[in-house]
Amino acid sequence: MAVKKKKGGSIVHPHYACAVGAAYSVAAIKGGVPIANCGPGCMYKQFFFLSFDNGFQGSAGAGGGNIPSANVGENDIVFGGAQKLDDLIKASLGVVKGDLFVVLTGCSGELVGDDVGAVVRKYQENGYPVVFADTGGFRGTNLNGHEIVVEAIIDQFVGDYHGPKKKGLVNLWFETPYFNMNWRGDYLEIVRILRSAGFEVNVLFGPESGGVEEWKSIPKAQFNLVLSTWNGLKIAKHLKKKYNQPYLHIPVIPIGEEATTAFIRQIVEYAGIDKAKSEAFIADEAKIYYYFLEHFSDFFSEYWFGLPAKFATIGNSTDNVALTKFLADQIGLIPVKQIITDNPPDKYRDDIRELYHNLSEDVSVEVEFIEDGYLVEESLKQAEFGTSVPLILGSTWEVDIAREMNALLIEIGAPTTESVVINRSYIGYRGALTLLERIYSATVGGK
Amino acid sequence: MANKINLEMSAVENREMRLGTIVGWDGKASDLIEESKYLERSQKKHGQRQPGICGTKSYCKLCELNSPLNQQTMCANAIVECQIGNITDCILIQHAPIGCSADQPWFNLAFNMGLGRRNKPPQNLKIYSTNLLESDMVFGASDRLRQTCRDVFEREHPKAIFISMACATAIIGEDIDSVADEMEAELGIPVVPLHCEGFRSKHWSTGFDISQHGVVRQIVKKNPKKQNDLLNIVALWGTDYFTPMLKPLGLRVNYMIDMASFDELAQASEAVATATFCNTLGSYMATALEEHFGVPQVDAPQPYGFKGTDEWLRAIAKIVGKVEETEAYIQAEHARVLPRVQELREKFKGISGFIMTGSAYAHGLITVLKELGIDVDGSIIFHHDPVYDGAGEHQNTLKELVDTYGDVKYYTVSKTEAYQLTNIFRRIKKPDFVIIRHQGLAPEAAKLGIPALAMGDEHIPVGYDGMIRTGEILLDIIARKKFNLVLQRHVSVPYTDWWVNQEDPFLLSHSPDALDEVVPVKERSIYDFEQEGA
Repeated sequence: MAVKKKKGGSIVHPHYACAVGAAYSVAAIKGGVPIANCGPGCMYKQFFFLSFDNGFQGSAGAGGGNIPSANVGENDIVFGGAQKLDDLIKASLGVVKGDLFVVLTGCSGELVGDDVGAVVRKYQENGYPVVFADTGGFRGTNLNGHEIVVEAIIDQFVGDYHGPKKKGLVNLWFETPYFNMNWRGDYLEIVRILRSAGFEVNVLFGPESGGVEEWKSIPKAQFNLVLSTWNGLKIAKHLKKKYNQPYLHIPVIPIGEEATTAFIRQIVEYAGIDKAKSEAFIADEAKIYYYFLEHFSDFFSEYWFGLPAKFATIGNSTDNVALTKFLADQIGLIPVKQIITDNPPDKYRDDIRELYHNLSEDVSVEVEFIEDGYLVEESLKQAEFGTSVPLILGSTWEVDIAREMNALLIEIGAPTTESVVINRSYIGYRGALTLLERIYSATVGGK
Repeated sequence: MANKINLEMSAVENREMRLGTIVGWDGKASDLIEESKYLERSQKKHGQRQPGICGTKSYCKLCELNSPLNQQTMCANAIVECQIGNITDCILIQHAPIGCSADQPWFNLAFNMGLGRRNKPPQNLKIYSTNLLESDMVFGASDRLRQTCRDVFEREHPKAIFISMACATAIIGEDIDSVADEMEAELGIPVVPLHCEGFRSKHWSTGFDISQHGVVRQIVKKNPKKQNDLLNIVALWGTDYFTPMLKPLGLRVNYMIDMASFDELAQASEAVATATFCNTLGSYMATALEEHFGVPQVDAPQPYGFKGTDEWLRAIAKIVGKVEETEAYIQAEHARVLPRVQELREKFKGISGFIMTGSAYAHGLITVLKELGIDVDGSIIFHHDPVYDGAGEHQNTLKELVDTYGDVKYYTVSKTEAYQLTNIFRRIKKPDFVIIRHQGLAPEAAKLGIPALAMGDEHIPVGYDGMIRTGEILLDIIARKKFNLVLQRHVSVPYTDWWVNQEDPFLLSHSPDALDEVVPVKERSIYDFEQEGA
């Protein structure tokens, strides 16, 4: 039955946006200005999925309502939209403050076949920081779009480099901006950890980044750190080829003291930098972490009125595996249904499955890859939660099924319309504690 | 009638062709009224074409400002999602790549708010995407659409299926009409094609017409039995304030299209009349129901402020034969609300406001602000329809506004263009608040120190009580200015100093060459290439 239902390949309740959503990767760069060479409506739609209805993040700089857009119309389809795009780029350069302008071509422009490259090259030749990327929605998810756009910036803006590498300088390829509603807080935490461990970091996105100058120094880094199941690997492979720059792939974002400490030791070892600084940091953080955990343990051991024991995780592979591993390995919750919704490329799926086979010493689950919300719900219904309250870590779309199953729904992925996120993190040392606060506040009846 | 809505066709002629809609204009509201030639357009719509007056296209055409810089906006495809995708027991299929579905969580939020306001149980909206990929662009995707129709039918048991076109599917030439016919025969329920690809119209509001066209063409009952106490209200997600307003006239309300069920939509042809809170939204449907099913549309000013509400009620009273009762009701209502309105007027002395919404609704909102004694020196209106489909004598909403409450000095027609805000606010007394709908402008106004009332419940300003509701909410919003001033002190706008210092928000339209100085671009000539070659 399920196979037959899958035949159409349709999706209800999507858990991702499309390639042109990478406009928000550009907006996440300090001084980055996306120029949308798309139909009207494209940027509006992506904004809601990635920003507003994803923890009501909003935007800064040239995101949100400020994104210049060609709003491709019927005339442009019939007669070509190159001149309109040319005018738009020029006007954007004059009116919108920015250090890097990225033209993202959507479905209309791609299908009509305008020579966007020729238009953009004119500005490049005149010394303007403009690049272009083909991000038609039919090219896949916003995660695919993220990789396409980053490569375009590297090739057309960062450019060639043959100088020396700097030991201890790392390029951070981490959560896709905006897609994870906590990304701003998560970047703060991971950068705090990396810097405290003795690294210099090209943060690239978000408030801790040095903007486009930092992008220019990408080729100087000792290595690329890919902290994600798969998204970003393509970028790292490209950089390896382009700048002969090695990469370290750590597929599970560390959450909690043990995982974060192990993570720090792994990268310090890999980079061969001095261990004294990182070990001192680890000691400090561990002390703080367990001071809090000891307090939490009173509640966890003595709460009379029942706590959830079994949980499901519905979300993109990177967040899904990190959260599942922490809860299974460090808290002792029992994973009963893990569904990955971000359509990872086939070649990475076995590696991702393997991560779920090794969640903890004796915890192994079979993860499912499902993009269609209907099939997600059908699968969730099959999960055996036993007698305690089912805990579902998912998105706003799972609200109907959670209501039906009398489950506790904690929104951890896009879209999210029951949380307002400003500066929050669920990762590393400090974020793990926030995650526990979030889950157990909901458990004791808070929102 | 010369321009009857053609239900034989599955597609709708877009607003710029049908109504002469424009999206760029700047000047006094009274001048726009003059240039709009409502009367002549109305005569033409009613088949009373005056040779030599409105016969020539150039005479009737409104001058429109075009800018090289546009910013993100809504599209007709998104409007169809928020209309058809919010029917409780029908399914919309978006025949498109997945990105066209990315605003679904927003309309899901609106849908659930709306369900609560209309006392219906909460439920997620269910809009399916055919989720097209690159190979579908090359080989076509009609089989995927057929399969999706079958899957949807089997899974959800909908009363009807709607199929919406997207830019990508329109460009590759998908024939959704044929698939819809085929599937209707196979599944035995209405399958309705909607030609709402984003590039089709320069204004998203064409999407309202497309949604309504589909409903009137394939959902409403073809052999209606009159329900003499049923009034159609073409609405969005607003609270049900119309029922108490119309109860004294003995009327039940049939809201369309959001949160309606198939059966509620189907009975639209049985209603005694059709009205709306916004002619921009409702005029197409009201006209289609009038022309094809004899359901009269209410030819009156919109129900805002004292005068508008009076006349709106009187027009309905005339249709349902309750003239005397209605006069008594109107008098009682005036006596009831006037004291509180007067108190509010005291509080709003010296306060000025600014509207940033769609066209006819803006006219209603400005009406309410004027009733509350709030100055309105300027507003941004997302489009201008020089006439509505109904083209009724009393439906010229902008003229009604200016005749009753005076001119609006800076009446700016512009689609959500955030970059113009600094320039626009500089030439007027800075407003104490803005009222917005649609996304993108309020956050920029916020950085300029101006708080926004996001009018998500669009029925708040409607009717006599609407003046009180709006006034009371505005007092809360004005208090928020403290937050906006903090923001203004510490957060800068994302526009260049050169631009921010310009006086004219339409500089790029009036003098496109102005950019040449700030963004000099040397075009490469053939000579340059030859030099390189040598």
